[in-house]
This record gives sequence, C-alpha cells and structure tokens, in this order.
Amino acid sequence: MKGFIKQFVFVMPAICILLLLISGCSKKDDDGKSGEMVLRYSLISKVTNIDPGNIQDVYGSQLVSQICESLYTYHYLKRPFEIIPCLAADMPVISEDKLTYTISIKKGVFFHNNPCFPDGKGRELKAQDFVFAFKRIANVKYASVNWGGLKDYIVGLNEFREYTKQFKKEYDVDYSYDVEGLQALDDYTFQIKLAKPWPQLINDLTGVVTAPVAKEVVDYYKIDAPVHPIGTGPFKLKTWQRGIYIELERNEHYRDDFYPTEGELSDIENGYLEDAGKQMPFVDRVIYRVIEEYQPAWLLFLRGEFDRLYIPKDNFDSAVDIVSKAPKEFMKDRNIEVTIKDQPSLYYLGFNMKDPVLGNNKPLRKAISFAVNREQINELMYNNRWRIAHSLVHPLLDGYNPELAELNYMAYDLSKAKELLREAEKIHGGSIPPLKIGWPGSDPFSRQFAQLIQRQIEKAGIKIEINYLDWPTYVDMMNKGQHQIFGSGVRFSSPDPLSVFSMFPTKYFAPMGNSFFYSNPEYDALYERAEVMFPSPERAELFHKMEKMVLEDYPAVFTTQRVQYNLHHEWYDNYKPHPFLYSHVKYIRIDSEKQRAYKELLKELKKKDQ
Amino acid sequence: MTAYIIRRLLYLIPIVMGVLLVTFCLFTLVGGDISQQIAGKNADAETIAEIRHEYGFDKPLFLAWDSQFLAHFKKAFTFNFGRALDREKIGEKIFRGVGPSLALTVPMFFGTLVISISFALIVAFLRGTVWDHIIVFLCVAGMSIPYLSFIIFGQYYFAYKLDWFPIFYDPSRPIYLSIILPALIGIVAGLGSNLRFYRTIMLDEVRSDYVRTAFAKGLTARKVLFKHVLKNAMIPIVTNTVLSIPYLILGSLLLERFFGIPGLGYLMIEAINARDFFVLNAMTFIMALLIAFFTLVTDVCYAWVDPRVKFD
Repeated sequence: MKGFIKQFVFVMPAICILLLLISGCSKKDDDGKSGEMVLRYSLISKVTNIDPGNIQDVYGSQLVSQICESLYTYHYLKRPFEIIPCLAADMPVISEDKLTYTISIKKGVFFHNNPCFPDGKGRELKAQDFVFAFKRIANVKYASVNWGGLKDYIVGLNEFREYTKQFKKEYDVDYSYDVEGLQALDDYTFQIKLAKPWPQLINDLTGVVTAPVAKEVVDYYKIDAPVHPIGTGPFKLKTWQRGIYIELERNEHYRDDFYPTEGELSDIENGYLEDAGKQMPFVDRVIYRVIEEYQPAWLLFLRGEFDRLYIPKDNFDSAVDIVSKAPKEFMKDRNIEVTIKDQPSLYYLGFNMKDPVLGNNKPLRKAISFAVNREQINELMYNNRWRIAHSLVHPLLDGYNPELAELNYMAYDLSKAKELLREAEKIHGGSIPPLKIGWPGSDPFSRQFAQLIQRQIEKAGIKIEINYLDWPTYVDMMNKGQHQIFGSGVRFSSPDPLSVFSMFPTKYFAPMGNSFFYSNPEYDALYERAEVMFPSPERAELFHKMEKMVLEDYPAVFTTQRVQYNLHHEWYDNYKPHPFLYSHVKYIRIDSEKQRAYKELLKELKKKDQ
Repeated sequence: MTAYIIRRLLYLIPIVMGVLLVTFCLFTLVGGDISQQIAGKNADAETIAEIRHEYGFDKPLFLAWDSQFLAHFKKAFTFNFGRALDREKIGEKIFRGVGPSLALTVPMFFGTLVISISFALIVAFLRGTVWDHIIVFLCVAGMSIPYLSFIIFGQYYFAYKLDWFPIFYDPSRPIYLSIILPALIGIVAGLGSNLRFYRTIMLDEVRSDYVRTAFAKGLTARKVLFKHVLKNAMIPIVTNTVLSIPYLILGSLLLERFFGIPGLGYLMIEAINARDFFVLNAMTFIMALLIAFFTLVTDVCYAWVDPRVKFD
C-alpha cells in the first residue's frame, strides 16, 4: 500500500505539470504578426438579434450599425449634435406642407458580396432597397418589433400591412404592391409621403432600423434572412457564434468615406483630427466576445486583450479617481485612459396610476419621492458616477430646462415625506398597506439596489415588499398594469425630446411607452400639438409646460441619469464618445506600435512587483 | 436479464409521456403566453397576434388534431424541436453545446472519481492517523468554501497572475486549452464532498469481518484494499457514478459562464432567463430520457459488480 501511496503522490503532480505544459506550449502570440489591425471588444450581454428591421436593443444596434448603414448619421466630432448624410447624397428636400421628403441616394455604393447576389457580387444600392426595407417592417408576417414607430405615419403603409395578412409566410408577400408614401422615383431618388407631419423622421432615418435591405437577401435566405445582415457598411459579418463570439471583417468594396476634417475647437488639441480626410475604416477586423461576468472581462482588459472596457462597479474605485475623473496610478502605470460618456437616459421608480392605492393619492406618491435619497443611490450603487435627474429632459437633449433643478422636485426630505404620508393616510382612509415594487432581476446588484430603495422608503413609514422578477415576467406584468411600483429606466436615441414626452400620453398606454398609465387630458392635448411641430420656441414652450405637469403629478420617482465611464488602452485612437452614434468603429484606429509595447510594459511591471 | 431490460425499456414509455405532459403543463399553462415578450416592449396587438399565430399559441391546448399538446408531442418524438426564440434551430443549438459541455464535465467527472476514490482508499488505510485527520479537515474546509470562490481565485491567480492558463475561452484557439483550468477547479472544488462520501463507504467496508480475515491470511494491504474492499464498495460507487452521467451533458453553469465555455449549462440558464420554453422543453425531454436510461444502466451494473444481485 505504501508503494501505491508513493505512486499516487508522484503521478498527481506529474499530471498537473503535463497539463501546464500543454497549456503553455499552445499559447499564441499573433498580435501584429500579420500586420492586421484588430479591434477587440467585450460585450456584457449577448446579441440576440442582428436583423436591422427587427432590432430594438443597444447591443444589436451597436453591432449591426457597423454592417448596415442608413440614409443619415451624426457628425462624429461636432457638438451640438449634427445630422449629416450617410447613404443619402444630401439632406432631404422637404415640401412646404412638411409631408413629402425627397431624398437622393449616393451613387456607387454596393452591398457586401454574398451568394444571394448573382455571381456572389454585391450589387449597387438603389432607392428600391429603402422602399423594400420600410415595407418589410410593415409586413405583418415579419412581425417587426419596430412597426409601432412607422404606424399611421406613411401614406398607404397601413393598407400594405392589411394586404400582407393574406399571406402565410413573410417571404411569400408580393412586395410589388404599391405604397403611395414610399416611392423610388428613380434608382437614386427615394420619396416618403407622410399622412401627418413627422418632425422626428430625420432622426429615425439615422437608425439602423431603417437601413436598406436588398430583396435578394430575403428571397435567398428566406427564414434564415434575419441572421444574414447584408448591408453597405464598412464591415461585414464573418462569424456569429451566438452568445459567445462575433467577428466582423473589413468590407473590401466599401465606398469613399473619409474621416471628418472639422469638429469642436478642442478636437485638434485632443488629437481627434489627426486622421482628418483619410479613408475609413482603419481596422481590418473587429472581434466582440460576450463575457457576462465582470472578472474575466476585467482581467482580459488588463492583459491587453480588449481595447476598451466599461468599468465594472467593483473595480471602479481601483480604476478611477471620482473627484478628478482621472485614472488612478495603477491605470496610469499601464497607460490606460478614461473616457466619460454621458448617456441621455432617465431612471425611475414608476407608479401604476391605475392602482387604487397609488393612483388617486398624489400625497402618497409625493411622500415616496421625498423619501428617496438619490444622492445615496448614486453613491452606493454607482460610485457617484451617475447624475441626479433634476428634470425629465436630459441635459444633452434639446429643450433641457436647467431651472427645474432649483424647484426641488427630486429633493430628499424625510420629514416632509412623513408629513405627506399623514395626508395620504387621510385620503386612503387609514394606514397605507404595504406597497409592492416589481423589480427586474434578482442578481446581487439588483437585490442590493431594491433593498436600498426599500430601506429609504420605509424610513418614511411606508412598508415596501419587493417582488424580484425575471425580465419577461416583469415586462409582461408592466404591460398589463400589474405592478404597483416598478423600477425602470429608458435610454433616448436622439436629441429630440419628444421621446421623453411620449412616455406619458393616454394614447400610449402600455405596451406602448406609457407604463405608468398616466392620463391627463390637458397633457394629452399639448402632446397632440407638440408631436407634429418642428423644433421651434413655441414647441419648446409646450415641452416646458408638459414637463412641469408630469413633475407635479408624480407618476414616478425620477432618480438618476446614466454616465458611463470607459477605460481604453493608449493604442485605441480617435475615440470620442457620442451618445447617439453607434457606427463609431470605422473612426477608430489602433496604434500597433503601442499595442506591441504593452506586453513589454507588463513584463516590466511584473518584475517591479517581484 | 434480457427480459428485465426489455420490461424496463417498456416502462420508459409512460415515464416519457408523463414527462411530456408535465413539461407541457408547466411551460404552457403555468408559464403563460410569451408572445408579448417576443413582440417587444412597445408592440401593437396585431404584431402580438401574428406572433401567437406563428408560434401556434392561438391553437387549442388539448383535444384537437392541431392542438398545442400534440405538436409538442410530435416535436419530442421526432426530435425535431423547431426553432428557439432567437430563430436558431434548437437541435443545432443543443448539438453545438454538447461537445463543450462534455469536454468540461467528463474530465472533471473522471478526475474527481479517480482522485477521490484513490484518496478514500488511502485515508481508509491510514484511518486514525494524523494524515487521516488532515485530509478530513481539508475536505470539510473545501466543502465550506463557496464554489464561486474557487473559480474567482483560480481564474485570478492561475490564469491572470501566473499566466499558466487562458483566462477565458477564445474561439480561435482549441477548446481543450480553455478547459484545463475550469476542469481542475471543478475537480478541486468537488473533491471535499466526494472524498468524504467515498471515505465513509471505504471505512464501512474496512471494518468488515472479511477484511480482518484477509489481513489475517497474510494478504498485502494493497491486495485487500483494491481486490476486496474496492469491489465490495462498488454498489454505492456505481449508484453515485452512473446516475451522475446524465447531468454531465448539462455542463457546469458557473464554470461555463466564468470561462466562456459555450456548453449546455449556459444554454439552459439563458433559456430560463429568456423564458424560451421551446429550448427548455427540448432540454427537459432529453434529460428525462437520459436519466431514465441511466437508471436502467445503474440497475444492470449492480448485477455486473455484485453477483448476488439477480433480476426477476
């Protein structure tokens, strides 16, 4: 037996050494060997949809915007944000009645090479591809999540949707059915006729949802068309391993597209104009790896295997000094830089106004709002990174009203909350029963967050129960008005503030944007007027009135607005955060010299540590 | 024996039917209609209705030729599970995940089994000595440390600090490289409980009369432990081992998530989070089949390892 023990004690370490050798011998070191510029990103959530017409989430938009282009885009460097032509040759010609948009299309733009085209060669982009893309979203059999954004706006499109109901499958639909409001006047002129003014159309035409789709793609791939995004963009999809890995490669036939030659005054100083006038994209491949846990993403970033990273909450203190907003020594030693991206967004605790306890009791809603300590939320949950929402309209959106901050709608005042609670109890006719908060997610962060809110509100004497829910159940309950209170947030995709105000009209009750079931006839009337108005002082005045109405009615406890801190390595050049532009990858350059030097730097730092 | 196996195989039919009925009721009746979820947050009623039609949620539940239950039944028995909510074929999804899951769990399974049985024999031999106490103490300590701590420490120290292993699975490199560290972590994390379990079994046997007799006859300790004790301890080992085999296919959720192994554990949790009942149905059905089959294998193995077991 002693012999066996000796053998066992010898064999085990030997196996371990063998495994180490296997692992060590197979290490690859291909950075820069092929001379390729490769961008590497981590995604904290998997991309579920890469079909432009059906995209609704940020990750899908970020990915597909590199593959598919739209008629318009945002200027990468200029602030305030400016919309410029992308696939359009110019800005649209808008008729006097604001109902007809005539858009000329750039010539010499080609779809990616793909077997769906004759000889596998991507054909030239035509105005008909835009008509097809819009009709496809309207096709009821395609069941696009984005139909709600087009409904009732384009002449004849609702009728086309009715017409598609007779077909069995999406790809059986005969798209030659004429839609008066969507016309290809010739191969390079696209015309949209509206049933009513739609000032936000130009913003929507910057989104990947309205990107052109070649009919050949749908005819060829049929049911699998949604996983073959074939666009005109600077990159084409090479590999999509769902939930794990996405690889894009440079589109070798990409059109002439040059890095901007002008921007803000500080852009020269910050080095954003060093590549002015050069053909884009700069990188050859883009790799996205889905890493849902923070630790591996963080370690891979420090190892130099990702170029940019969103800072995980638990690593924030070791990465950034929140006062100076500069990287800490550990980061400086590695030449890692910080960028701050203000994200137009609004986070809140929504009240269900149909709820018998909350809906008719404004003092109760107000008491809850005064009981919530937003500063504490920002400190404990976001390392003081986010900003307190003093208004509905984010400072980056048009029509932001800085004066609202002084009116203290978002103040924390526990004694006032208690006072309001007494008033609320009179209205209710007794003590307030425990209120239920529907909370999306049950991971440690979600639990800590919900419990913090619970503790804050309970300090005012209001009992709170938390119902942790998976996302689909949470959304389902929200749409059916089954929550009493719900934690939520929204991110705005254009500088036009109308999307903020579309969260409150009666006609947009959930499942549309109004999950609060807030109904105010006066607000509705103002919204009807504002929604068809182009930006003007008169519209701004309406928005100010509507904003005050909502703030005074307390359909929610508005808490915070997101500010995202990113780290990137020094070789990641030209990165200027833009909250509305997803197609930023083509602007990025990798400094291969600095990238290669990083490995040496790490070795030096390791020696120092020892 | 053959008659027994055939009889047991026939028993599988009602079991599988029962599983199908239960999963259908759970996911369809209790889980509710997921068309709203598929349609997105701001979808209109028409889009939701179209999705209901596309996925067959507008069909009767039971008692019709085109009922949802019969469709569910047909899918399971033809192994044509249809498409997941992300429109990928479920069969392809599962097939793709089996390899990585097994690549991780099979070495973990055999590694844990061999090491814990070997150690169990050693500590049974050394029972009452300092070594026995040290190993038992380490087992209890190992069992007390959360699984996640092993993963976080292992990944940070061995992959990042020492750079001995990849931190995360990189699809451009062979998968076995990314599996070594998680498999080792899995083995070490599972060693405590397994070793204690097998040690108890071995000690029960070591205290038996036949062991005393064997030693009295002058047999070497090695012969007694490996030829007699191990053989007699096989029944609980077989039960523990064979019944674990179906779960290997499910992979290891935490390890897969932290090391990016694209296995079925990951797929299952994603399906739960997304309420993708199509994937969950398929996985549950496959698991039920495997568990039923390996339960039968366990019974057959009893006869193989212990001649006293007879089948009627």
